[in-house]
Formats: sequence, C-alpha cells, structure tokens
Amino acid sequence: MKPPVIYGAAPFLVPAVLLAVWFLLTAGTKPAVNPLFLPPPATVLAGFGELWRDDLAGDFAASAITVLRGYICGVLVGLTTGAACGLSRLTERVLTPTLNTFRQVPGLAWLPLMILWFGAGTGGKTVLIGLAVFFPVFLNTLQGIRGVPAEYIEVGRVFGFGKLELLLRVVAPAALPGVFVGLRYGAGIAWAVLVVAEMLGARRGLGFLLMRSQELMHTHHLFALIFIIGGVGFSIDFGLRRLERHLLRWKRGFEG
Amino acid sequence: MSHLETTAGTAATADTSGTGNAAAITIRGLSKTFRDTRAGGTTGGEVRALDAVSLDIAAGAFVAIVGASGCGKTTLLRAIAGLETAHEGTVALDGEPVRAPGPDRGVVFQDHRLLPWLSVADNTALGLSALPAAERDERVRRALALVGLTDFAGAWPAQLSGGMAQRAAIARALAARPRALLLDEPLGALDAITRLRMQTELERIWRVEKITMVMVTHDVEEALLLGDTVVVMTPRPGRIKREHRIQLARPRDRESPVFQDLRRTLLVELELETPPPAVAGDYAI
Ligand SMILES: Nc1ncnc2c1ncn2[C@@H]1O[C@H](COP(=O)(O)OP(=O)(O)O)[C@@H](O)[C@H]1O
Ligand SMILES: [Mg+2]
Repeated sequence: MKPPVIYGAAPFLVPAVLLAVWFLLTAGTKPAVNPLFLPPPATVLAGFGELWRDDLAGDFAASAITVLRGYICGVLVGLTTGAACGLSRLTERVLTPTLNTFRQVPGLAWLPLMILWFGAGTGGKTVLIGLAVFFPVFLNTLQGIRGVPAEYIEVGRVFGFGKLELLLRVVAPAALPGVFVGLRYGAGIAWAVLVVAEMLGARRGLGFLLMRSQELMHTHHLFALIFIIGGVGFSIDFGLRRLERHLLRWKRGFEG
Repeated sequence: MSHLETTAGTAATADTSGTGNAAAITIRGLSKTFRDTRAGGTTGGEVRALDAVSLDIAAGAFVAIVGASGCGKTTLLRAIAGLETAHEGTVALDGEPVRAPGPDRGVVFQDHRLLPWLSVADNTALGLSALPAAERDERVRRALALVGLTDFAGAWPAQLSGGMAQRAAIARALAARPRALLLDEPLGALDAITRLRMQTELERIWRVEKITMVMVTHDVEEALLLGDTVVVMTPRPGRIKREHRIQLARPRDRESPVFQDLRRTLLVELELETPPPAVAGDYAI
C-alpha cells in the first residue's frame, strides 16, 4: 500500500505551474505583462532582501507579538466562557443572547472604535484580535462540552470521580476535538484580522509595510510581503494541525 | 494468573468470614417508568421498564439474569449501580440504600465504554488513582493478564476489536476490586472461542475473588453455566418471572442431560421453544 510517487509530488504541482507561468509572463526585455503589475520572480526575491535590510524583522516581530497577545487573550476568555456556558445552562442562558448579538458584528467593524479607545498602537489591535478569536473558540468549546457523551460521564461516576475529577479527566479530554476546531479557526482569523487592522492604521507591522509599498509603487515588495503573510498563516495552521494530530492521536483515521 | 494466586492467598486467610469481601444486594418493589420522549409517542408515551421487582442476592452469589431484549435487565443493573435513582422501591447494598455509584460496585457496560483518549492500561487504571503508582501498575498488569490483553496495554481503544474492548472493560472493572461486579451482557461481542474461555475465566475470578456477581446475558447456556441463581425476566412490563436455583456441581458440564433439561425449561419460559412432550427418561439413553 505504498502511495505512488505522484502522490508525494501532488502538493507541489500547482505551485510549480504557477511559478512557470510567472516566469513566462515576465521573461525577456519586453515581458508580456508590465513589471509594475507583475514584477519578475528575481525582482521579488531582491525585494525580500531590500525589505530585510529595512528592518523587516522588526515589523515581523511587531505583528507576531500583537497577534500572539490577542490570540492568547481571545483563547483564554473564549475557553473559560465556553466552558462556563457548556457546564451550566443558566450561565448559557444569561450570556448567549448578548454574545450572539455581538457575534453578528464583523470583527473589523470594531476597528474604528478600538482606535478611538485604545489608539492606533498595539493595544487596540490586541483587543480586536481577541474579540475575533473569542467567538469561534467560545462556540466550539461550548459545543464540544455539550457533545460529551453521557456514557463517559457515567464511567467516571462509576469510578467515584468527583465534580472536578469528572471535569478534568472526562469532560475536558472528550471535548478537546471540538475545542481544537475553534483554536485552529481562531488562529486563521487572528492573523487575517491583524494584517487588515495594520493596513487600516498602524506605524509598524506587515500590514503597514503593505500599505507603504503600495504608496511607493514597490510592487515587488507587495509580492514579497504577500508571500510572507501567506507563509506565516500556513505555518500557524500547519503547527496547530501537528499539535492536534499529536493530542488527538487516539482518534482513528489520523494515520489514513 | 499471578493475580489469582495472590488474591487466593489473601482470601484463604480471610476464609473464616465465609463470603469474604462480597456485598449482599437486596431489591424491594423496584419499579421504573420511562417517559417516551421520542416524537410521535406511538407507545402511549410511557414504558414500564421494571414493575415491582424484588430480588435477594446473597453476598458472594453469582446471579445470572436472562430475558428478551427490552425486559429491563439493563435498567435493573443500572439501579443496582446507582446510575438510575429516580425509581420506586429500594435497592440496598448490605442493608445500606443505594443512592449513587460507588467503588464497592464495579460495572461492565453493555457497550464497553472505554475512554477513547486513554490507552488500554490507563483505562484499566481509571479507578485506581488513590493507589501508589507501583501498586497501580501491578494491578493493571494483573488485570490485563487475566483477560489476555498484556500485549495491548499501550493500545488505543480504537485499535481493539469488539471482543478485546469488552475484555478490557472487564479488566478495568476488576482492577478496582469491587465487592459486587455488575456485568451487562459482557461476552455478547466475543467470538465463540474467546467466549468459552472468558466464561471459564469469569467463573474462576468469581471463585477466587469471592465477590458477588450479577450478570445479564441473553445466552441461556451461559446463565446455566455460571449462575447459582438464574433469574428469568419478561418484558412489558419488566418483571421477574422465575428464579431458578442451580444446584449443579462446578465446573458444569453443558452436555449433561440435567443441564440440557434445565436449558430447555428456561427456553420454554422465555417462550423461545415449544414445550417438549413429557416423556420420562427420554435422555437416559
Ligand atoms: N433512557 C431511557 N428512556 C426511555 N426508555 C428507556 C430508557 N432506557 C430504557 N428504556 C426502555 O425501557 C425498557 C427496558 O430497557 P432495558 O433495561 O435497556 O432492557 P434490556 O436491557 O433488557 O434490553 C425498554 O423498553 C427500553 O426501550
Ligand atoms: Mg440491555
């Protein structure tokens, strides 16, 4: 049952084709597409270097720290609120109508208010990302806990587990697959919200660099930045997926 | 095997107390009605799962309960386990009313209910968190050896066959050393050969541990092979039709005429077989 070579190469097929088309469209002294719209790969590669010398690392760090801080805040509040609602119908009844109303507001709609309250620095963006991350984590934690089979709870009770032991040894692990859906989804949102928020108002960060590159007509920088942003988003999801695969390795089908 | 030897040693010293560590179970006038919550309500909305069930189970007895599906066997076992508390009548353990589950009663559920995120060994250790690690590991090792799952200690439940999972569930219940073990069709998922082996094992465990065993089964032969008492239940409403004291010497011989005769009697009571013509000595060939 060894997969054929084509299976291993499959993920690289589309990028290879895209790269080839890119080379073709931008080759020669009179390329098919104006370099202002589509700079050749070599120029974009040089753009990485220029950005790097212009303290790309500093901007990257600014973005990373903001997104991490916002994500952690959103996850912590989402987990605790979701757990509280999942474990208590009363708490759910108290909180969910309000939360469901706020949930209808797109994350970025809060941006002007956040800038007004917390300024255009990292504070407002942290809150904004936290808000955007909160909802998927909250909802999936709540549903994860509600989905814990009563049969497992009974097993815990048969072995004399108290409330806390039931929570830690039965409810939490049984709800983990659901929680992870929220964690991964929230991570994707966090990165997207951050970049857009930085584009709309920031003095540092990858989103800020995007806007500045546009103003300076540095298209090759735009491309370099898009690669970086996409790469980071991909890495975050990849890392979380690896973590999920490890933590949920007891589930059948992961190897398949 | 070593599990048996060691416990045999302890049991031998405590043998003067007769039934050792076992618990007696007394059930009086137990009735349970489920409201049918399903849409439509064609059944009239209520199911009388148990109707005025009374049963005395002596400490150290092996009681087998047989009956058609839906006659309340699981409900009865759950009431003894303390998982079903909203009922009429009483269930008592050594005279103490049962109000909740407790470590004195082990349960092997009809579905194995291994926790899928714990290895087989960790599942087996589920009721042992109060013990020091070394003793815990030793108990897990012995319990798994007893059910023949030593090589699967590190496996995930999802990797086990149905029969192996059920054996792991038996090991998990045994490892906690309950005073009464409640088994709900524990061998139903096993293949014929493993089933025979596990029947022998269950009898040995019962003999050596000297605990009370209440086993639900749909297999009349299994009930006769293991039970001191075989309780026959009938459905709608769930009632005890008869209790048979089985006086046959152990280990019991399935092929013996008396065994076969009892088997036929039980099947007739379960309405699975029409009564044979009453010809005296028809098995004395
Ligand atoms: N939780 C429940 N809700 C509604 N009806 C139930 C429930 N549990 C059992 N019953 C009903 O009670 C009757 C007895 O069920 P059960 O004790 O599981 O029977 P058995 O184990 O003998 O097959 C059945 O008719 C079943 O449908
Ligand atoms: Mg049943």
